Amino acid sequence: MAPIAPIAAPLQSAPLPETIAELLGLDPNQPAVMFVLAFLAAGAIVSVLMGMTAVLGIWGKRKITAAFTDRIAVNRHGPFGLLIIPADAVRLLSKELIVPEGVDRPAWDLAPLVIASSALLGFAVIPFGNGIQIADPETGLAFVFATASIASLGLLMAGYASNNKYSFMGGLRAVAQNLAYEIPLVLTGASVVLFTGSLQMSEIVAAQNEALLTLGGVAIPSWFVFINPFAFVLFMVANLAEVGRNPFDIPEAPTEIVAGYQTEYSSVYFVLIYLGEFIHIFLGGAIVATLFLGGPSGPVLPGFVWFFAKMIAVYLFTQWARSAVPRLRIDQLIQIGWKGMLVLSFANLVLTAVIVGVIQSA
Amino acid sequence: MSLEEPEPDDGVIEAAEEVGVTTEGLDYDALAELVGDRLLDREDHVNAEGFVIRPDDVQDVLFDLRDEAGFDYLSCVTAQEYDDRYESIYHLKKYDEPTHELSVVVPSTKDDPRNQSANAVYRTADWHEREAFDLVGIEYDDHPDMRRILLPETWQGHPLSQDFSGEEPQIVTLREHANPLQEDHRGDDADTMFVNIGPHHPATHGVLHLKTVLDGEQVADVEPDIGYLHRCEEQMCQQGTYRHQIMPYPDRWDYISAGILNEWAYARAAEDLADIEVPEYAQVIRTMSAELCRIAAHLLALGTFALDVYGDFTAIFMYAVQDREVVQNILEDLTGQRLMFNYLRLGGVAWDIPEPRDEFFEKVRDMLDDMPEKLTEYHNLITSNEIFQLRCVDTGVLPPEEAKSYGATGPVARGSGIDFDLRRDDPYGYYDELDWDVVTEDGCDNYSRLLVRMQEVEQSARIIEQCVDLLEDWPEDEREIQANVPRTLRPDPDTEVYRAVEAAKGELGIYMRSDGTDKPARFKIRSPCFSNLQTLPVMSEGEYVPDMIASLGSLDIVLGEVDR
Repeated sequence: MAPIAPIAAPLQSAPLPETIAELLGLDPNQPAVMFVLAFLAAGAIVSVLMGMTAVLGIWGKRKITAAFTDRIAVNRHGPFGLLIIPADAVRLLSKELIVPEGVDRPAWDLAPLVIASSALLGFAVIPFGNGIQIADPETGLAFVFATASIASLGLLMAGYASNNKYSFMGGLRAVAQNLAYEIPLVLTGASVVLFTGSLQMSEIVAAQNEALLTLGGVAIPSWFVFINPFAFVLFMVANLAEVGRNPFDIPEAPTEIVAGYQTEYSSVYFVLIYLGEFIHIFLGGAIVATLFLGGPSGPVLPGFVWFFAKMIAVYLFTQWARSAVPRLRIDQLIQIGWKGMLVLSFANLVLTAVIVGVIQSA
Repeated sequence: MSLEEPEPDDGVIEAAEEVGVTTEGLDYDALAELVGDRLLDREDHVNAEGFVIRPDDVQDVLFDLRDEAGFDYLSCVTAQEYDDRYESIYHLKKYDEPTHELSVVVPSTKDDPRNQSANAVYRTADWHEREAFDLVGIEYDDHPDMRRILLPETWQGHPLSQDFSGEEPQIVTLREHANPLQEDHRGDDADTMFVNIGPHHPATHGVLHLKTVLDGEQVADVEPDIGYLHRCEEQMCQQGTYRHQIMPYPDRWDYISAGILNEWAYARAAEDLADIEVPEYAQVIRTMSAELCRIAAHLLALGTFALDVYGDFTAIFMYAVQDREVVQNILEDLTGQRLMFNYLRLGGVAWDIPEPRDEFFEKVRDMLDDMPEKLTEYHNLITSNEIFQLRCVDTGVLPPEEAKSYGATGPVARGSGIDFDLRRDDPYGYYDELDWDVVTEDGCDNYSRLLVRMQEVEQSARIIEQCVDLLEDWPEDEREIQANVPRTLRPDPDTEVYRAVEAAKGELGIYMRSDGTDKPARFKIRSPCFSNLQTLPVMSEGEYVPDMIASLGSLDIVLGEVDR
């Protein structure tokens, strides 16, 4: 696949570790130096993500849900109730870690780690803008999808190892759901790749950088959401299923199977699973932002601000869906996945291929 | 309820040629002729005649009464112990004409109390007879599942029987109780999975235990296990005086803001028992306050149903609770209470509309004015949502014949197209003077039951509006809120009455027998939730787990009323 448009100057320069190396005057060709720097960069990004999860997961989520349901939510702990974040962190971590009898260790212990780390791993190739990107391999997009889907393994492990029927059902539901929706997700992502001709994240961002058309003096960028809104809608729906939010929160479905695969987890494991879930949503947001919303591009404000704004917008969308949309039944979900989404995403892929072919031959 | 139970014999019920129906009402002589030799004696109860029959003729007689005389509704089974005998009373009614009542009285001997089960005729008898066995101690032959229902399996004795002593400790070791945690690989080579849904589960609306057998995600068998919230309500009422001490209890049956509806059930039965006339003005206030309760109860049902279908972050639950709050505030102004109203009195109500009256009426009118807009919002949010329709249309199907056999009433019956509402069919209070409609939907599914509730809110609003109009124009010197009732009520001995009202969940009936003292000798509560919950296996077998949860939500049970 050849790029269809001349690539504009990429927004980001070299990946973050190399940038740091240059700043510090170290030799970027020395593996040891790069290892340490990449480690530091990864640590920094993980810290930012953890911070984000803490704010949005503990405080933001309550406030957002409250706004949807006409309530106020936390407002007694410090300004706007913000001090609930440390309070809750301490509360969650200081709870007793209950290990039920008959759980299958170490699978049971590994599951939360797998869930949380698979989502974090995806962020390694996400371009946050302003040169904040740990690595920029040529297979960036494939890497993101591959790591994100490791979470399914974690969910199955959690469900299967818990020795609890609700967990078991939740784990099986999670796997069935992820299988059904990952394929449309990847296929729709592939339709973007058809346009850019590259799996490299920086290239995908760069390809969306020029103006598509100018409407009344306002230049509309060639974000893929404007070029192919159909693919965007498909991707958003598949993404909702991928992160397990309404109408696809079937693996947890609290009113049916208590808490699904996480029923038996308490204390720090519970935190890890929750963390994994939120970071998964953020990763979904990051992929949507990169593939469809032009990544860090945007006027006036620095790139990474835009990037985070887009990511959080996707997060808000999931919360909105959660407050307003009913949950599907598992058979309906599978039906929609295999009979609807899969067909549509193939159609989208073919359509995109035709359009790309027409443009190129023109 | 297991799959092995015998299917009931669904006799064709012909409305046209029912025995004993005359233009003036029920001709008990014709019915007596139908029963023929099997009739031992005829009793006179306040609400209907009682036909005494032999304990081994129960099925025979009930089949005849159902198929020939059109009594397709077994409202309640009351069991009680006398000094010389045990007695089961089958309160029969007709769905088409609930004023056509007949009590079938079945005495059984003191030393071996048993009679034939009515389960083959009416499926609803299953649980009612289990309760009779559990609390009173009568055994029912041919019953498919003669076990305790409210008390633990290991309970010693029958608490409403005469020789039961509450003083004696229940000498049952913990070990003898069924251990919910024990290994339960029932049929190791089976493809099914047994799972306990409840007693602690997010979707059971209280402490309900569903013993569920799953085949993959589908429900192969479900058996509701109730009794976790049994509080001896019947016995407590038997220990209270008619005049003052019983009225607070009804609030605690269906405690989801349907208090005044429940109080009315007791008030109606006791007023009929003691022959008390309620002043019209009080009736209007009762009607208004009862309908306020109904709105509050239905809004909560709507909200919790949304929880079951949407998941626990849905906005609809909070919206419903907010709208219910407006009604709750009005009820608080009227009764001084938000939950346990204790507002009705025998022969009237506790006090008049609070002063200043204009302010109160304005508040009510504001609520009524806002109601259409709010209901439109709910329709936009819920009933017209396609995913919601996907989930609720044609799931949890309860065919009308099954509903009738199980004695389903209220929105559950009306959602199955059964046009049955005691407010219209067996009028009490001020309902027959007002202009309103009975809502029915014939979808028989979860969706219809929700629609019925939402439309009933509209109808209740209509009723309240007319009541407010009446109350506003009521001449000041005729505002009589209380009839003249003696301080101590002692109805004549051996007077028996069964009276029901249309509560939020269906027919809430009270059976009382007096023994000449100021306390009832037997106080039996016919709870609509108890009968409605029995239909859950019909609705959910073969369905998916989420649909079973939705069906449970659409039944709108309150465990306080199921377990009493």
